[in-house]
Amino acid sequence: MKSFGLRKETVLAYSFLIPILLFYTIFLVIPVVFSFVISLTEWGGFDLESMTFVGLDNYKKIFASDSTFLDPILTNTFVFAFGSVALSFIAAMMVSFLITRLRWQGLWRSIYFLPAVTTIVAIGNVWLYIYNPTNGILNEILTSVGLKPVNFLDNPSIALWAVIAVSGWLGIGGAVLILTAGLKGIPHDYYEAASLEGAGMWRQYFSITLPLLRPTILFVLITSFIGGLQSFTLTLVMTRTGGPGNSTNVGALEMYNQAFSFGNWGVASAMAFVLFVVIFIITMIQLIVFRKGGVESY
Amino acid sequence: MKLKRIPWISYLIILIGTVIMIFPFLDMIFSSFKSASEYSKLNYSLLPETFVFDNYRMAFEQLKLSMLFKNSIIRSLAITLLVLLTSSLGGYVLAKLRFPGKKLIFRFVLSTMMFPAFLFFIPNYYITVHFPLVGGNNIFGEGGYGGLAASMAGLIVPFAVSGFGIFLMRQFIMNIEDAYIESARIDGAGELRIFFQVILPMTVPALATLAIFEFIGSWNEFIWALLMNSVNNELATLPVGIQMLKSHLDPTLTQPLVMAGLVIATIPILILFLFLQKYYVRGMMNDGLK
Repeated sequence: MKSFGLRKETVLAYSFLIPILLFYTIFLVIPVVFSFVISLTEWGGFDLESMTFVGLDNYKKIFASDSTFLDPILTNTFVFAFGSVALSFIAAMMVSFLITRLRWQGLWRSIYFLPAVTTIVAIGNVWLYIYNPTNGILNEILTSVGLKPVNFLDNPSIALWAVIAVSGWLGIGGAVLILTAGLKGIPHDYYEAASLEGAGMWRQYFSITLPLLRPTILFVLITSFIGGLQSFTLTLVMTRTGGPGNSTNVGALEMYNQAFSFGNWGVASAMAFVLFVVIFIITMIQLIVFRKGGVESY
Repeated sequence: MKLKRIPWISYLIILIGTVIMIFPFLDMIFSSFKSASEYSKLNYSLLPETFVFDNYRMAFEQLKLSMLFKNSIIRSLAITLLVLLTSSLGGYVLAKLRFPGKKLIFRFVLSTMMFPAFLFFIPNYYITVHFPLVGGNNIFGEGGYGGLAASMAGLIVPFAVSGFGIFLMRQFIMNIEDAYIESARIDGAGELRIFFQVILPMTVPALATLAIFEFIGSWNEFIWALLMNSVNNELATLPVGIQMLKSHLDPTLTQPLVMAGLVIATIPILILFLFLQKYYVRGMMNDGLK
């Protein structure tokens, strides 16, 4: 663009950017630093004078051998993220593959996406009803075929998976959206050429669709895995404290409850940082994988 | 592909999937018409024996639904407008102006999207409540009755800028010809006028996508609204108010009420989404394949 004077343009640019930079300073940069400072203190979140500096004590507590944060909470976090992604990805691969060949593609896509535009409070409460041990539909089905009713959310060995199932169900629509976009990007000629050569449906799928969809698949898998590691609203609505025991507790929920239910802002901030570092490392791996896997402009 | 030979199997699988996706919504709608005694009865049935409308009347009485609705609408509209403004301003500057530090700022904006939300609940809660010179606070952020959270600002301001929004608008504005801006400048138009009268009208498709995205997102946002409600319970939004109703009273009695509240909170948004899904989907795809 023809410049109208670099200095004038610089002044203009920064005066337009001031609100944005101010916002990021107040609500992003200062908070990250502040949060790290809190993690080195014992603090109930009231006035700043009541902060006591304790060094790395909070981190030591988190990594102590009797700490519940590493096991089961962090383990649960990974199981939760992995389980939700696996469920929604497998379902979304099937759905997106099928609907690109059906009529009313947009309609199907919207239906599968409905849970993603619904508040988690609604999702969580409706599924609590579906899982209800006395009058929910799932147990009605189980008892009508002669099985014993299952206490989905009170049984420590099932509860986590009950929440994961909802989270997976919730994630199908988003994955379908991105996968169908990826499928549409594969040129039709490839399939025609393959048909002429006599390649069957499965051969075409494994030799054309899957390899060409690889960048999209990588994107869906990694971004939803990272999303899963951060997620805790559904667990909060469905089990409140991550119970029974800690069987459904995940990292971000434990952080939330430590801060806002128990007033341990120091420990909670240390937990937030540990979880953040874990997610940051995975994000970095993602960037490397994407560059190699051919996802553009990362 | 040869799958066309057996489309009925595809339709069957998709229809079974559709039932699994939609059933929870039907369960929510039908159980909002069940009486409390029927709701707590042992045997499940999807349809209520008799349709009871009392839950809706009681939800309106016990929930202060008009306040919740008003808060939700003000919040979502305000966030949407602010994000549209800041995103298009930021996007325009990063797409069309040349200035030192541009690359750095763009990288910074991109990197903001990598920070997980949970990292900010604790520090931003403190910063919002102790914001200087608002809500009765002094210059050190002390002595007041909630800082930003003394008013709706607490629900709105921390969401006023979106990294995703700036990125989306930048990508869109990059494709606008420089000639439009140059000729406006030659005609003597001021820079604000160029932005508002030349650039903005051309970005309407991208703005529509961003608007629907932000509106639905902030309507459904729960955790921050819950935290603000703990400071000032005049700030409850629909999801928060409904969830609070549930935790306070006898769960078996209030469950159908909660369902009625949830129907009121979700169905308008779902209808809005179905009408505008074209724009929404475009934003998601952009996010996915940038």
